[in-house]
Amino acid sequence: MAESASCDWWYIKRSPAGGTLYPRGAWQLRNITQILRFAKEPLTTSHNPLKIDGSELSALDTAGAMLMFELAAGGKGIEGAEPNLVCALELNGFRENHAHIASLVKERWCAHEPSKPVRGYSQVEKIGQETFAIAKGMQDLVAFIGETLVALFSLIFKPKRFRVREFFVQLEAVCVDAIPIVCLVTALIGVVIAYLFAMQLVKYGANIFVVDGVVLAMARELSPIIVAITLAGRSGSAFTAQIGTMKINQEIDAMQTSGLSPMQVLVLPRIAALIVALPILTFVGDIVGSLGGLFVSKWYVGIGASAFFDRVQANFPYKSFYLGLLKAPVFAAFIAVIGCQMGLAVENNARSVGLNTTSTVVQSIVWIIILDALFAVLFANAGYY
Amino acid sequence: MILEVENIVTRFRKQTVHDGVSFVVEKPSVIALIGGSGTGKSVLLREILGLLRPTSGKISLFGQDIKTLSEDELNAIRARYGVLFQDGALFSALTVEENIRVPFEEHMMLSPEVVSSLIELRLALAGLAPETKQKMPSELSGGMRKRVALARSLALEPELLFLDEPTSGLDPINARSFDHLIRTLCDSLGLTVFLITHDLDTLHGITDRVIALADGKVLIDGPPREVERFNHPWIKSYFSSRAAT
Repeated sequence: MAESASCDWWYIKRSPAGGTLYPRGAWQLRNITQILRFAKEPLTTSHNPLKIDGSELSALDTAGAMLMFELAAGGKGIEGAEPNLVCALELNGFRENHAHIASLVKERWCAHEPSKPVRGYSQVEKIGQETFAIAKGMQDLVAFIGETLVALFSLIFKPKRFRVREFFVQLEAVCVDAIPIVCLVTALIGVVIAYLFAMQLVKYGANIFVVDGVVLAMARELSPIIVAITLAGRSGSAFTAQIGTMKINQEIDAMQTSGLSPMQVLVLPRIAALIVALPILTFVGDIVGSLGGLFVSKWYVGIGASAFFDRVQANFPYKSFYLGLLKAPVFAAFIAVIGCQMGLAVENNARSVGLNTTSTVVQSIVWIIILDALFAVLFANAGYY
Repeated sequence: MILEVENIVTRFRKQTVHDGVSFVVEKPSVIALIGGSGTGKSVLLREILGLLRPTSGKISLFGQDIKTLSEDELNAIRARYGVLFQDGALFSALTVEENIRVPFEEHMMLSPEVVSSLIELRLALAGLAPETKQKMPSELSGGMRKRVALARSLALEPELLFLDEPTSGLDPINARSFDHLIRTLCDSLGLTVFLITHDLDTLHGITDRVIALADGKVLIDGPPREVERFNHPWIKSYFSSRAAT
């Protein structure tokens, strides 16, 4: 027994009163793995703690001291030592600087309770927590819509409170600056959809219906949806990130204590700007998407510009066009409200900004699709097609 | 030689921040860098840490000129010092335990059990209960965040510790206990501590040496008592600021 408890890093002297552990060499963080290789089994079998004599140590740091105590107090490798055994260890012969480290580690170790293992959540509990989180999110959203409406009504009596300057700043950011990306996206969608129609209709020789199809699809569904999704990704996320960062920066608190209402200054101008911007951009999308269709019908179907425009004029789908423009402000209201609400719901850490921004985009897109489906059913049943 | 700063000049466009700053830290001690706002204390710290390059001059850590080192060599040096940033700079996406685990994973090949034991020891050294492990940084108070950050900076048994305003934002009781902790660690672990501070109690309580920056130069460099008696308007108003209240 006494022979087996000896290696490059330590040896043990046993006596009737107990044993003494003589660690030797450099017990430091970088050598821990090597030392542990020799510590396959506990050094003591009884509950008699060893004494430690540090006279042969060449270097010691806190990690080394910890390992030394673990071994001497009957731990196997690095785990399992009981704190009270560690506290009962007797330390002798340490050099002054090593003694400092050893006693610091011992003192801190004895002072704290060993951590209790934390029970993880079961699947059922996780589902429950998620459900409550979603319900809380819905509740917050409803509460926020209420607050927004209250703020809006207060504008009726004091219209001067509306932040005209902030509104135009936002309008520029969400509308004017978005025109290039909206044009690009809708033009490509126009090309794709016209191509799809053309491939089918050419088979029946019904080439001219490509024009009807493209204009109808763009005006009724594609332009409103594509533009709304683009703005959800572009402006809704920006609202959340801006307001969230302001919240972390305590700007919102500063605003409130200076007597400014974040609702009036931040939220309403953004919502108003998006509600104005989305129909305009949808209209732009209608035109540019149809021009994308013109491109295909000219090169693929052989319908030139004049024939294309004649057909559009003769057969313009007014109802669908108005319906598309009607949907846009509703989408916009949802995107803006969700974006602002998620921004104000940001917690005081950087991670939260990222999570909420992602959530804004996902929620907005889901709502856009849901609303669009509702509109489709509603207006079809009302005979509006 | 632990740290050597030699004739550092820093200019941002036309504004000169440092105009020949030099000092040497040779033996383990607690050194405080003081100076009024805008005297370039934080800039100097960032330069020493290799986050910013001085316009000219030489900075050596552990006898090696950091300008001449490759990224790998610099990282080997970085494993030998710990940094405590002003607000802790904990990674907000990680729990306390994961935060302290980061340096181990970057620099050491150790088994997970060894690392968790070491993490608990580090937390204990920083005066935190082991339950703190599972918390997210956002759930901690300012004082606890600093302690966790201290535990993280102590992870790899550094020889040198940089602290950027360790007691700012702490209440006086917490501030003094943090000072005491730093001094205890310094004495027992043989650490060199280089700190930036505005706190007069820290200065009197735990520092061995004070370096005062003014007008882009080292104004005076010596033990706190000596610096306090130095005849310069800023030093005078600085050290009498508490007496006036």
